[in-house]
Amino acid sequence: MKRMTLMVAVMGTLGLAGCATTTDPHEGGLLGGIQGMGSGAYDQRVQEREDRLEQLRQAQQELQTEREDLEARKTRQRREVALERERLAALDRDVTGLSRQVESLSDRHGEEDQRVQALQTRLDDLRGRMNTQQSALDALEGSGMGDAETDLRRRQLEEQRNALREEFDLLMELSLDLAR
Amino acid sequence: MRRLAGGLLALLLTASGGAAAQTPVPLDEIRDLLREQSFEPPPERSLAALRADDLNSSLADVDPYARHFSSQEAARQDRDQRAWTGIGADVRFEGDQVWLQVYQGGPAHRAGLPGRVRLLEIDRQPVAGCEVKELLQSLRGESGSPLVLTWQAGREMPAHTTTLIRERFRPLDVELVEPWSQGVLRVRDFLAGRTRPALMATLEFIERSDPGAGDAGSPLVMDLRDAVGGDLYEALDLAGLFLPPGTPLGSLMARGGQVRDFQAPRGDKLVMPLVLLIGPETASAAEVFAGILQHHGRAYLVGQPTFGKCSSQTDRRLSDGSVLRFTNREVLLPDGQSCSGRGLTPEMVVGDSVLRDLSRLMSLAMALQAGRGVVGTGQEAVVQ
Repeated sequence: MKRMTLMVAVMGTLGLAGCATTTDPHEGGLLGGIQGMGSGAYDQRVQEREDRLEQLRQAQQELQTEREDLEARKTRQRREVALERERLAALDRDVTGLSRQVESLSDRHGEEDQRVQALQTRLDDLRGRMNTQQSALDALEGSGMGDAETDLRRRQLEEQRNALREEFDLLMELSLDLAR
Repeated sequence: MRRLAGGLLALLLTASGGAAAQTPVPLDEIRDLLREQSFEPPPERSLAALRADDLNSSLADVDPYARHFSSQEAARQDRDQRAWTGIGADVRFEGDQVWLQVYQGGPAHRAGLPGRVRLLEIDRQPVAGCEVKELLQSLRGESGSPLVLTWQAGREMPAHTTTLIRERFRPLDVELVEPWSQGVLRVRDFLAGRTRPALMATLEFIERSDPGAGDAGSPLVMDLRDAVGGDLYEALDLAGLFLPPGTPLGSLMARGGQVRDFQAPRGDKLVMPLVLLIGPETASAAEVFAGILQHHGRAYLVGQPTFGKCSSQTDRRLSDGSVLRFTNREVLLPDGQSCSGRGLTPEMVVGDSVLRDLSRLMSLAMALQAGRGVVGTGQEAVVQ
């Protein structure tokens, strides 16, 4: 008697399990499959698959666009750094010219002339800062900084180079005054 | 000539290491320099007591800010010279604890470390009880070499383990603290000819990234809590940027009482309200900058009293290539007083926990700014 009761209980469970159908093909057993085809769920699955494929295509397209943007940003950054290098090189040439001018002033007024000495000190300082600027540009190219930080760094370097140019203009003016 | 060096232990760990070659220290040259150019002439017996084997200790008896650097050390600590190789952080020792102050955009920052973390382990080895030299050696290394750090954001916070790669890195001269939208600029060092243009560029960058960010009188917040010094003239230049032309900036007193005055120059001016975050580590050039603007009511100071050092040091290269730093000037703020020994007291004083919590500090700064008419009386608010 006891054994029979157990059998019934087991059969009952199986029956209930048969009623639990799904439209997911991974879970589609015999009953589920028949049930699925008969109820139009197969078409629904095909549609879902096509939708997913479409989503994947879109995601791929977005990734491609993002990659192109990244490349474009990097190209732009490289171009801007190259441009900054050219500006710095131009300033360096000007400073070399000024340096020669200060040497000739030194010959004319004498090495002991305090005005020439002051000019020379400021010129040396400017040269030191030019070197710093150069090494900062080198570091920018090799840095692993993010895009935004690289942009900010480059902007800071541009502004610092502008400040160097202002200092150069001032020294040039002083040098011309002394040459008169 | 004009460097205001911080008197705090802030060791830069990003430069690569290397054993210094032992060369005889030119002691007589050092004695002559100190005898002739120190702000206060040192007693002869102190000069005679200088010892090559323990020079920095004996120098401290002559001048608390005097220090001798071997040529390698001098090159390593010069921020202007080159990019560093390392993790992109300063290390700071507070009692028996080791803290890292992480630079924006550096390897540690990109690996996910926040601005300031307590360091617990390096490559799974506890840092507690480590010798300073040994600890720094563990952090330094070749570019491309990996390192595992265990850290926590605060004393009660959970520990994290992060693997990062040492690399060549040059920090921003003015950092834009994340999140960028809040517009907090961090200055750690006043760099000759660099900090002012970097500040201008950063402001322009913020405006371009978020047009209108500076509208409606929103204040510029500058974080000087870790600013331990730098170039005096840069600090004066920067202060002059916020003040009308001709405004007194203070003066520089040389040996024998000779005084040179400075005024704000003409040129570009910044007119937005200004809040400065300061703390006990804010020292030297940073104190001069903050002190000038506080004196003229141009900036509100939030945080804790500053270190209290308005003396100026100069770096002189010696015949062996090493460098001697010593005090040769005292800076007087526009009220004619030096901040040495007293520091600056902020309009709003906060407790230790708030001091290191930027978001809470920002809330207070904004509240202070909103009610500036009230706090302008000089009353202090104490927030724990």
